[in-house]
Amino acid sequence: MASDYSKLKKKPVGKLVIFGICSAMLYGAVFSYQGLITAYFTRGALYAVLPIATAFAFSYVHGHFAGYFWSVLGIEATKKALRTRVEEKRHIDRERPQPQPRPRLRV
Amino acid sequence: MHEMANFIDLTLWNVLYLFIVGFIGGLVSGFIGSGGAFVLTPGMMSLGVPGLVAVASNMCHKFPKALVGAIKRAKYGQVDVKLGIIFGIFAEAGVFYGAHIQERIKAAFGDAGSNLYVSVAFVVVLAVVGGMVLKDAMKTYRSGETDAEEKVTKLARWVQSVNIPGTMVFFKSLNAKVSVLFLIPLGFATGMLAATIAVGGFLGVPAMIYVLGAPSLMGSATELVVAFVMGLGGSFKYALHGLVDIRLAVIILAGSLFGIQLGAIGTTYVKPFVIKLVMGVIMVIVLFSRGLMVPVYLAQLGLIQPLSETTVKVLKSSSFAIMTFALLIGAFIVMRAMWQGRKAERQLEEMPEKAAVEQI
Repeated sequence: MASDYSKLKKKPVGKLVIFGICSAMLYGAVFSYQGLITAYFTRGALYAVLPIATAFAFSYVHGHFAGYFWSVLGIEATKKALRTRVEEKRHIDRERPQPQPRPRLRV
Repeated sequence: MHEMANFIDLTLWNVLYLFIVGFIGGLVSGFIGSGGAFVLTPGMMSLGVPGLVAVASNMCHKFPKALVGAIKRAKYGQVDVKLGIIFGIFAEAGVFYGAHIQERIKAAFGDAGSNLYVSVAFVVVLAVVGGMVLKDAMKTYRSGETDAEEKVTKLARWVQSVNIPGTMVFFKSLNAKVSVLFLIPLGFATGMLAATIAVGGFLGVPAMIYVLGAPSLMGSATELVVAFVMGLGGSFKYALHGLVDIRLAVIILAGSLFGIQLGAIGTTYVKPFVIKLVMGVIMVIVLFSRGLMVPVYLAQLGLIQPLSETTVKVLKSSSFAIMTFALLIGAFIVMRAMWQGRKAERQLEEMPEKAAVEQI
């Protein structure tokens, strides 16, 4: 039972809820103001930044929500795949040149 | 501002349809690095979205989806960012040139001519490349060496052996230095194909695997970086003309951001040849889908006898149904492979626990 509780504790339920709410708010905003948004987003020229920035915003918020959704359901990559990345990072850190000690004067 | 008055009214059915197609397209993209677009664009058009708006809105969903997918697969060490960015820059040039060719063909031969050009491109590329990829996947499966390390092709070994001073760059996915000059035609062709049939990855991923020598997992993952670069550039181009319907883009994203991450997770459970299998199967099935439309466009151009309205309707419906089937079968293979992989992993995890209990 203790191990079940610890498993539940590790799942990012809180983050799922927060990003879920933010995602719902974003979608609510787009569809509540779709007339106004469409009018500005299709003006072309410098207004081209608007749909691009919106797409990035959705990718961040909704992307995190979707990621935490699968994690909370327990659908994650194999441990081997996650270990590969950790070992890669350790290898990169080891390859970095180590700072040389400064020469000291002995009086 | 183009065709703004033709932005469709969204119904619940439209939204659900785009969400589901977005999810399945994302699932396949997360797995093989591309796909979904060839169903999404005609799918949007079947809802009444004008062609250019469909392409523009699809592009605007493609680059954020590819970004999320690339970040996810980078966590598993599968992405070669350097290769993706350099390849993507050349692909972007190909996209602009491919779009220019499309405009010239449309101006000279009209919609029917443009559609025939697109369909012929589909048939030729999918037949040659898709057939080769599927044959390779089946060969690996039949040999029983599905766990063995993937062999680098003779062509890729030659490419890696060529040394052109001043152009050599080390790519981690290839574990070798390769001349950037080889990336120019490959990237350019990928971009041209993306501009023509909306899926550049059908050339990009096989090019990275068979010409440059990248492993299947890394080739398909790196393609997501290429798709991000192409999609971002293409989206800007369309947004400058006011063609992006952001509502469509975010609805598709609602589903595809779930799908792409699930597809990315799925790659960690399968053997590398499954990537080639899914890609090959989808390409060969879509080949038949587009092949059915060639007589329709030939008849519209007056190159063959005119076809009856019923025949045209049957061919169009069958083509769309087969295209949707291609995506569904790809998604099915991904989900099944994932299911089996997770089951095997769970059994492996339970074995030491069982042994410990038995000792007690």
